[in-house]
Amino acid sequence: MYIRFWGVRGSIATPLTNVELEVKIETAVKLGIKAGITGDSQVPDFLESLPLHIRRTVGGDTACVEIQAGGKILILDAGTGLRRLGLDLIKRSGGNPIEAHILMTHTHWDHISGIPFFVPAFSSENNLTFYSPFPGLKERLARQQNSEYFPAPLSPTFRFVRLNEHTQFQIGDVKIDIFPLNHPGGSYSYRITYGNKTIIYATDSEYKELSVNSVKPFTDFFHGTDMLIFDAQYTMLENVEKEDWGHSNVFTGIDMAIEAKVKKLVFIHHEPGYNDEKLYTILLKAKEYVDINHPKVPLELLLAYEGLCMTL
Amino acid sequence: MKIEENILNDVSSIKLEGRFDANTSDAVEKFIREKIEKGCSQFVLNMGNVSFISSAGLRVVIIIARELRNEHQGDLHIAVLQPSVKRVFEISGLNNILKIFNDEQTATEAFSK
Repeated sequence: MYIRFWGVRGSIATPLTNVELEVKIETAVKLGIKAGITGDSQVPDFLESLPLHIRRTVGGDTACVEIQAGGKILILDAGTGLRRLGLDLIKRSGGNPIEAHILMTHTHWDHISGIPFFVPAFSSENNLTFYSPFPGLKERLARQQNSEYFPAPLSPTFRFVRLNEHTQFQIGDVKIDIFPLNHPGGSYSYRITYGNKTIIYATDSEYKELSVNSVKPFTDFFHGTDMLIFDAQYTMLENVEKEDWGHSNVFTGIDMAIEAKVKKLVFIHHEPGYNDEKLYTILLKAKEYVDINHPKVPLELLLAYEGLCMTL
Repeated sequence: MKIEENILNDVSSIKLEGRFDANTSDAVEKFIREKIEKGCSQFVLNMGNVSFISSAGLRVVIIIARELRNEHQGDLHIAVLQPSVKRVFEISGLNNILKIFNDEQTATEAFSK
């Protein structure tokens, strides 16, 4: 299975500001002077040595993750990251019809606002199908494109499949299980299995009760997965202050992942108020938490960023 | 998890022993809530014998402290943290919102100042 993250921000699209960009450039230049950079040939290694929050931006597009498995293209959520994924799909297709399967966790803005800008939907030759356990998904998405809000209606190219949340289904040879999460208005997790590999996408969920029995339904669903993509929008303190906002934090994610024997834990749905430095600091603290509390557990922690891709 | 209480000058000092995690956090929360219902609003949580705290334990500490401050004009003081538990308090940010003391007596006396 191949996975690529196209949108990792939560709540609202958050472009890098000019001030943030200038700080990165200024810091990099100062570090370059300090490192004694004198020629072009030294630049690649120097860039590689820079702290991640200086040489990279986590990105500002909202939820959208692509999985390729068994010759199928699966898209998890349709936030603003969907726009660039759409352009890439057209480029990759070489003019041939595009087939893609879009699994929706829920229909809050940050998970649907890329749909009006998804260029493959402009061609009726493409085969684009939405999947969701929510009733009336088509009507929900159509309302987003009412003329009061957008100049063009929802594309008639899209097809819609209503899922039963208790039934496994398949797209080609890819098996998919669904599980309800704790989020205002509801949200669903998807467990995607192809061959002997699994990826679980579990964003937009809050875990208020953390006793073993309370989290067991979730850790049972997450059990043994190769990759768990987990909502870690808040810090531990914010998570309590923003009770019932429907999100989680890295420490809860780590404890649940360890209980579920997860191999890779990927944090996503980043808080729009956090800059790159803050997000990478949270990742470092998360790694220290694992080192302190679970030094012998081989759990790999990753911060989702736009362009992160890997093959499992 | 072993939980022991000692009351002195209207301050409930609760001594924990063991792991403060998803298996034990409910018991600690229930124990303190019963004391709150009986009218106690000033607590010292002595964690000198707590070797491990997980997110479940951290969450109980945060919600109890918040409830005592917001609804009972009280507080939860933390006393005696082992180095690893102290570091978890720091990386999770709890040290920024809680009063943490090196010994139980100072934590208790701080309520009368």
